[in-house]
Amino acid sequence: MATIIGGIGSSHVPTIGLIHDKGRQHEPAWAPLFEGYKPVARWLEEKKPDVLLFFYNDHANSIFFDFYPTFALGVSPSFELADEGAGSRPLPPIRGHSELAIHLAEQLVNDEFDLTIFQDRPLDHGCHSPLPLLWPPTVAADGVQDGWPGAVVPIQVNVLQYPMPTAARCWKLGQAVRRAVQSFPGDLKVVVVGTGGLSHQIHGERTGFNNTEWDMQFLELLEHDPERLAAMRHVDYVRLGGAEGAEVVMWLAMRGALGERIRKLHQNYYLATTTAMAVVLFEESEAQR
Amino acid sequence: MNPQLEGIEHIAGTYPFDLRTSIRALRINRFFWNLARKEHRDELVADPDQAFRRAGLSDAECALVRARDWLGLIRYGVNFFVLEKYARVLRVSNLEVYAAMRGESLDDFLKTRRVPDAR
Repeated sequence: MATIIGGIGSSHVPTIGLIHDKGRQHEPAWAPLFEGYKPVARWLEEKKPDVLLFFYNDHANSIFFDFYPTFALGVSPSFELADEGAGSRPLPPIRGHSELAIHLAEQLVNDEFDLTIFQDRPLDHGCHSPLPLLWPPTVAADGVQDGWPGAVVPIQVNVLQYPMPTAARCWKLGQAVRRAVQSFPGDLKVVVVGTGGLSHQIHGERTGFNNTEWDMQFLELLEHDPERLAAMRHVDYVRLGGAEGAEVVMWLAMRGALGERIRKLHQNYYLATTTAMAVVLFEESEAQR
Repeated sequence: MNPQLEGIEHIAGTYPFDLRTSIRALRINRFFWNLARKEHRDELVADPDQAFRRAGLSDAECALVRARDWLGLIRYGVNFFVLEKYARVLRVSNLEVYAAMRGESLDDFLKTRRVPDAR
């Protein structure tokens, strides 16, 4: 049986990827962000999960509003990284896990989550902006980056075009993903990841809005009282965390996939310019896996 | 009315991208979306009028694009995540777009930020 051993919440600001790829992680303005990922990377290196299951969103890169799925699961054995208009990232293609993804599709649809399925679509920075900070690419003997420590199963969530799935629906999706993972016949260790947030708004005159007090409260509720977050409406998230900050419903999907007994091992919060960038690591108690 | 968004009209300076907006502004959103591909970027740089025509933009839409009126485009119904692809073509940073939407210069906007060097 497959087990979920932990969960990660992470911002997916594209600049994180850009600074990483340019090797500017040590600059004083960026070190507090990149240092904040190291304990998470060490934990992943120690626990060696087989799969990172991402709840992320596409930013109109692989998909467009002419056909816009609410939830979409990627089932390909491999994914390219989307060229979002400034060239591809210097990173190897991302390995998928078709067997687990097929099982998830079959179980989730049977569990009344009628997912869209995608193949051969490149993944957006919503998934891979923080990926090399969590899982540094593997390097072959000749020094070339040739892969990743494990596979990624991507679940894309519409957080761009209203009506978006509600916080409650994302929470329930996470719970259904947990049931589905736990019924997988193979022996796999899975870590769930929710990306996005925290507070930010990047459109209209309200651009630049942040709310650190709310961000802290959100992180506290995420750990101890996620059902309160699930009961909130999008307009509440927009008011408290900014219009684009409402994407934190994807963190709630991650939390829904975890059990009741979790331990927060690490948290980092860095608000530099426009988006409050956070990373959080939860570990499952062994007894409930 | 989307029950999840009741009361959003009281949050100033915020333009939820919903289906009414998406239907009305599909063509101009597609025009910007296409700029993720090199052939569309090259066409826009070489001959903007032809690029606008091929995208089927109205005169009002062309005027907003030509004026680089970031706030006007958002209020018209352009989604920020396709709009930023236009900023890449013009070599304008997102921080500059943010400042413009607030009606500020980049320097003044950065003065309001905790770590202005993080860019």
